[in-house]
Amino acid sequence: MIDLDRETLVKMIDHTELSAHSGEKKIANLCSEARSFGFLTVCINGAYTRYAKELLEGSGVLVCTVVGFPLGAGTSSAKSYEAGDAVRNGASEIDMVVNVGALRDKRLDAVRDDVRAVVEASRPALVKVILETCFLTDEEIVVGCRLAVEAGAGFVKTSTGFGAFGAFPAHVRLMRETVGPEIGVKASGGIRNFKDAWRLIQAGASRLGLSASVGVVEGLSLYKFAPAAWLEEEIPCHLCPSRFANLDKQPKAVYAYYKKKCLACPHLEKYNKFYE
Amino acid sequence: MTGWMGKIVKIDLGRRTREEVAVSDALRRAYIGGRGLGVRLYSDLCPATTDPFADDNALIFMTGPLTGTLMTSGRYQVISRSPLTGTICDSSSGGHFGAALKGAGIDGLIVEGRAEAPVYLSVHDGEVEIRDASAFRGLDTQRTQKGIQAETSSKTSVACIGPAGENRVPFAAIMNDKDRAAGRGGMGAIMGAKNLKAVAAGGSQPVAISDPEGYKELTARLERIVDKNPVTGKSLQVLGTSVLVNIINAHGMFPTENFRRGVFNDAEGTSGEKIAETLLQRQSACFKCPIGCGRTTRTRDKQGEGPEYETVWAFGAHLGISDLTAITEANYACNELGLDTITMGSTLGCGMELCETGAWKENLRWGDAGRLVDWVTDTAHRRGIGAELALGSKRLAAKYGRPDLAMQVKGMEIPAYDPRGAQGMALSYATSNRGGCHMRAYMIGPEILGHPVFLDRFSSAGKAELVALFQDVSAVVDSAVLCRFLQFAVGISTFAEMLRTVTGLDFSDEELMKTGRRIYTLERLFNNRAGFGRGDDTLPPRFFNEEFQTGSSRHRRVQLEGMLDDFYAMRGWDRNGVPSPQTLADLGL
Repeated sequence: MIDLDRETLVKMIDHTELSAHSGEKKIANLCSEARSFGFLTVCINGAYTRYAKELLEGSGVLVCTVVGFPLGAGTSSAKSYEAGDAVRNGASEIDMVVNVGALRDKRLDAVRDDVRAVVEASRPALVKVILETCFLTDEEIVVGCRLAVEAGAGFVKTSTGFGAFGAFPAHVRLMRETVGPEIGVKASGGIRNFKDAWRLIQAGASRLGLSASVGVVEGLSLYKFAPAAWLEEEIPCHLCPSRFANLDKQPKAVYAYYKKKCLACPHLEKYNKFYE
Repeated sequence: MTGWMGKIVKIDLGRRTREEVAVSDALRRAYIGGRGLGVRLYSDLCPATTDPFADDNALIFMTGPLTGTLMTSGRYQVISRSPLTGTICDSSSGGHFGAALKGAGIDGLIVEGRAEAPVYLSVHDGEVEIRDASAFRGLDTQRTQKGIQAETSSKTSVACIGPAGENRVPFAAIMNDKDRAAGRGGMGAIMGAKNLKAVAAGGSQPVAISDPEGYKELTARLERIVDKNPVTGKSLQVLGTSVLVNIINAHGMFPTENFRRGVFNDAEGTSGEKIAETLLQRQSACFKCPIGCGRTTRTRDKQGEGPEYETVWAFGAHLGISDLTAITEANYACNELGLDTITMGSTLGCGMELCETGAWKENLRWGDAGRLVDWVTDTAHRRGIGAELALGSKRLAAKYGRPDLAMQVKGMEIPAYDPRGAQGMALSYATSNRGGCHMRAYMIGPEILGHPVFLDRFSSAGKAELVALFQDVSAVVDSAVLCRFLQFAVGISTFAEMLRTVTGLDFSDEELMKTGRRIYTLERLFNNRAGFGRGDDTLPPRFFNEEFQTGSSRHRRVQLEGMLDDFYAMRGWDRNGVPSPQTLADLGL
């Protein structure tokens, strides 16, 4: 049984609009929805931080701005300036993208320093560190989480929504186990409905990045009338990042890592028909 | 009173009398309006054994408390006993006619009796007038609408029948606002039996709103939500409902040649994308609809509306036809003559297989696009081969000794989703109160599109509960009366808010779900009395005994019985599909 009420759910949601082609009208709509539903934040690109802040005045809805988005491959000083600028424009939260390449190179000091620079430039705003888990092995995810915490981040976050795939319960679980209960875990990317959201909450997510926020909240209202459909045991392969490994979109080593995991998985024999 | 106009008028065409029907506040709250209140009023007026074509049968046109108010509220429902199926039936149509009826000052119209000569009803400022329609006898729906507008006002919205309805073809549609159809179940044939050629509505009486400020805010919010939703804000707007052609074909469940295959090799050529590239003139929208799923199209010789997804399938893959122009012109012909495209196409497919097997000695062949319009025209006029096609697939297949070749449930032809590719859709078809209909519980949402939850389409687990839920929500939406496409963007909480804002009554999610269940159960009770039971909640044998050999739904069969048991238990019905006394008491029936 799902023990979650609407008020709790809406306060876990960063209502998100990050498309390159979104203009002021879409941001205004986003803010208006956030006001109506009482979402915790709107998550937007930096160019609209001040605009959103003004629209949300008095609503209690916070502004969350992305930094180094979506690649994370800029310099620390550029990210820091971007973060500071966002905070000055009214952002209460900063979602920064980690330097994924440095993390995969195992240049750990560079990763930690990059996050720390943004954390310091963002004060007093909360910083969430996007690891972009689709480009990482489990071991790299664990390292990324530790470095983010060491650098003073308040949250670790799975995905930008622009990578090979979005949030999976397995990754969220791993991140929660790594950072412990005091640090937030934000799941984002590919969360289309309430069932997706609920799986991630169960795995340990304390925040959800959603563009389908309204549908997710409406799904909760339907769930209570037909819980079996939402609680049905699922084929584990459907929820496994290995199934979504994509050579066109991932580094070949990461792709191979996920495929290798799949071949060693105890579920393979039972469910291999789904790989026909 | 806000939302409702507070007036339902009963007309006896034989006696030429009119009276107002009193509806208590309690009844209005318990059944809302539209389909729910219409079914309740019909059940009170007509026994389940009523001959649909008898003078004492009632035909009810209904709006709901939301009609003429918030977005997508131009629709209306028509309720009676179907001549195609013998079940209770409600048929829904978009356009503006529903809003026009409310603007004319009434919530609904109950038509009884039979006029001696063709008549039409003119509704204006709360008054209903019976007018001579002799001049329109035999005219198609386009000419009829124009003619009545010339007699009344160009602003009048007209719902009418064409030759098919006049000839009592049991799948004759009612057409309004040019090309919008109350298509399913043969409500047009009942108009024909009553010598009722049309209903014309006009006027500007406003619908009172309980909370005008809340209404304004809700309107703006709904527009944003619908615009942002990928289905309502993008796919349906840009490509219309035919966006589904490639999707369903890719899932190997696009019924081809009378459901013998699940993949149509020429699907791409009949897709929404192809329509947009070739025939599309502009998108068209119903009253206050920001979605605009309608397609105004043009072929070399003609212009009209359509085809939408079910029609593309019915005259396309189902018949092995990939000529988009022929499909579109068959659609235009159905619109003009007043025929349901799904049953028309499905009956043709049944006929083609009957001919192929040699059971029927006619010359219907797969892929014969050149004769489509002729077959449609002959059916509407019940002449030549059309006299046989006008039986509908169930009666046609039975007549030629192969009832198994009719792809129907309770006499209504199932549409464009093969149930072997979606177990929940199988249960939805089997348990639909009006027969093989995809709109009672659109399980394609969870089983293909992942809305509102993604379910394994080949599994039967959890399906019964969701089918029942969808049936109940749909009953509410049909009673409110709104377009079902809104369900892609908002859920029961928002529908409750819409009703609260307009009517001022404190509808909750729980009350509405119970209302939906009450309506569905009342329809079931009617069908039980008409002789329908568990044996009718089934599918054609093809879906249990035959498998596709190719495509992503290959090697699958429908597993119905377990789901049916779960469904009955969930609904509080016994093993024969009869609601228990406890269930009836719980629902106030």
